[in-house]
Amino acid sequence: MKKTSVLAFGLVAATALTSPAKADKLDDIISSGTLRCAVVLDFPPMGSRDENNNPIGFDVDYCNDLAKALGVTAEIVETPFPERIPALMSGRVDVGVASTSDTLERAKTVGMTIPYFAFQMAVTANDKSGIKSFEDMKGKTVGATAGTFEAIALEKSVKEWGAGEFRPYQTQADVFLALSQGQIDATVSTSTVAQSNVKSGKFAGISVVGMAPYDIDYVSLFTNREEYGLINYLNLFINQQVRTGRYAELYEKWVGGDLPSLSVNGVYR
Amino acid sequence: MISYSFHWNQAFKALPQMLDGALVTLQIAILSMVVGLAVALALTLFRLSGNRALSGFATGWVEIARNTPALFQIYMAHFGLGNFGIHLSPYTALLVGIAFNNAGYLAENFRGALKAIPDTQTRAGRSLGMTPLQAFRYIVLPQMLRVAFLPATNQMVWAILMTSLGVTVGMNTDLAGVTQELNARSFRTFEFFAIAAVIYYLIAKAVTLIARLFAARMFRY
Repeated sequence: MKKTSVLAFGLVAATALTSPAKADKLDDIISSGTLRCAVVLDFPPMGSRDENNNPIGFDVDYCNDLAKALGVTAEIVETPFPERIPALMSGRVDVGVASTSDTLERAKTVGMTIPYFAFQMAVTANDKSGIKSFEDMKGKTVGATAGTFEAIALEKSVKEWGAGEFRPYQTQADVFLALSQGQIDATVSTSTVAQSNVKSGKFAGISVVGMAPYDIDYVSLFTNREEYGLINYLNLFINQQVRTGRYAELYEKWVGGDLPSLSVNGVYR
Repeated sequence: MISYSFHWNQAFKALPQMLDGALVTLQIAILSMVVGLAVALALTLFRLSGNRALSGFATGWVEIARNTPALFQIYMAHFGLGNFGIHLSPYTALLVGIAFNNAGYLAENFRGALKAIPDTQTRAGRSLGMTPLQAFRYIVLPQMLRVAFLPATNQMVWAILMTSLGVTVGMNTDLAGVTQELNARSFRTFEFFAIAAVIYYLIAKAVTLIARLFAARMFRY
């Protein structure tokens, strides 16, 4: 008798654990009261730290807006570019607000939202290298931040040119350090990063010399691939940010200039 | 982790690329050991020389190499020297950084091994009419290498694992660099890192095994 009752209890416990009515991630975030965002804080003006070491930037504000919409508190989890996916998969963060390019290759692994921002790519060169345009980079030593859209595109260009060398550095700061030291002759980065680094005066002897002829780099928020409820919510959030003018307001605050359009002509979504 | 489904077939497609990377890793480790052994021997002789400047230089090297992180040493070889206009490619910077580290640890190995050989042996050699150099070359050195050999293979394994720090200075051809790049492109982090870990493990095991076989043949009494 005793054995059967233990067995029965086990069965009940097992069914309770595997019951189909489980809360999804959106529920989890709301009930936990905290939204944990992966943000890259080495990527001004999207994410960086102020003098008091507090996270600031466009992505930080977007995370705060999202938390406010959900009625929870935001927690910014600093995540370098290569660690975005491990951070999500190991459950350290709920959502990536990390300027992540929405490539089809990556979308096999994570769930991408509609674009929330768009970058154009600029070439920044060391003044001594004599590079005046994108084409001049052919045959030179160039670098970019490992794992970014522009790094992948630039490495492909170097392979096509069949001359020169490509070096991926782990952080944006290392790329610009190497550039100002002359270890690399030029880099391709988002124009926002290029401008903000050249203006910062931290890196001597470099200037933005032109645009790179790469596709516009649309970036998405991301979360686990199967969390449709959350992805659906994030898509609406991005739409509302544009609709309410908050996107334009934050763009003006952090970047300035012409507001990039987030829609692609001639196709849905 | 529950939410991650593994796509091993996608990851295994990149195996040839990763094995090419493993060769570069092995190459750097071997070169860094060759350079490291030569420098360590020189540092050991400097310390024995009794010359203040030389032994001070050797001690300084050993102190820095052993008491600072390898990451810092490699970073300094690239960005530190770069500050003074000395530009080492990622490959060279990684090699220099690891060789610097190896030399420090191996010099300390050699010192320990020397202590294990009684002074009386040198004196016996000298009394047979050997010069100090001959006594070192024919009596001390062979025994020192025997004692230092197995600790040195540990350093070789350590050198292999240290090559993975090359990614911080823009290295993209070694195993860690190739893995990082594949990861960035596809976000299949866990598959690629697992494969890389297995490859590192196998290389390290192979090195230990070969070293044991070699030692068994070379250092028989």
